[in-house]
Amino acid sequence: MNDERDLKDRLTAIEGRAPAFEPPPLAARRRRPLALSLAAATLLVLVVATTAVAGVAVVSGMVRGYPGIENPGQPLAGATMECMSPPQAAAYLAAHGFTDVVWQVESGGPGKPDGSTTLVSTPPAHGYVVPGAILDDGKPHMIVDQRPGATGTGVCSGMPMP
Amino acid sequence: MWTVEAIRSRILRAPAEPAQTDAPLVRPISFEPAVAPLYAGLVRRLVVVLGDADEAQDVAQDAYLQAFRAWERFDGSDVRAWLYTIALRLAFNQLRRRRRWLAAIRRIEPKPWHDPVDPDLWAALEDLDPQSRSALLLNVVDGYTQTEIAEMLSVPVGTVSSWISRGRARLREVLTPRAGT
Repeated sequence: MNDERDLKDRLTAIEGRAPAFEPPPLAARRRRPLALSLAAATLLVLVVATTAVAGVAVVSGMVRGYPGIENPGQPLAGATMECMSPPQAAAYLAAHGFTDVVWQVESGGPGKPDGSTTLVSTPPAHGYVVPGAILDDGKPHMIVDQRPGATGTGVCSGMPMP
Repeated sequence: MWTVEAIRSRILRAPAEPAQTDAPLVRPISFEPAVAPLYAGLVRRLVVVLGDADEAQDVAQDAYLQAFRAWERFDGSDVRAWLYTIALRLAFNQLRRRRRWLAAIRRIEPKPWHDPVDPDLWAALEDLDPQSRSALLLNVVDGYTQTEIAEMLSVPVGTVSSWISRGRARLREVLTPRAGT
């Protein structure tokens, strides 16, 4: 009987010492980490979606295309510089106000070893001219293809290397 | 504090006025004054049964929401027993579900509570499963009969009897030395 009384008293005492809490307002209803994780997952989905959209915008900017300098509506539309030698193309460009030109000379083989691509400000003596574009610096960037086996581009493709 | 308005705003359909039936239910008082004073005690009971304060709070809050939804069906007799029944059944169900779920995602982060004053008895209680613990507390502390507890926990009387006798036997091991001091 004493044991029964003692057990009841001690169990009651334990329960009395257990933490109790005021009922919270429903608006501030607390959640376990699991629920927090679910809320965080929702937030994460939003963040991922936002990042993806932002990423697409950034990448789109990075791979922004430039219209070819000879394309319809561009300053030198229909010039067919691909049929000219590099010095001829430089003269043509100068005659149209483009005296400051970047020449990208491709001279490597099919594997394009290091040093096969050079950027120069004066046109090389020969090579196939690949009309480039006017980039953000305002300069025409022209490509001169000197690689073995090059055939040229455009209407004069296949003619002897100028 | 809980407010009926707050709870109403959380659920889509608030209970209607008492239904007119042949045997109208007896509801002497409204929901909030009847159950709000029981909150702290319920949380304490759930802490002892579940051994986790966070778990206890969650179950208590869910129990209050369930109780509010079921308030129309309450027969008005023993609100404490009715509320504890909801909470304990919820605790056992949620315990099973949550354990499966947490185990599946490997996020078991229990925040166990331990009684610092009577560690021997608490350790003995911890050895019991939550069902046995709750049956023992309902019997020893609250004075409910085994038949009443069987109804509350929705299990056969024999099961309750087994839980209680096993619980008493385990607690007696630590009870006797202390009783003699």
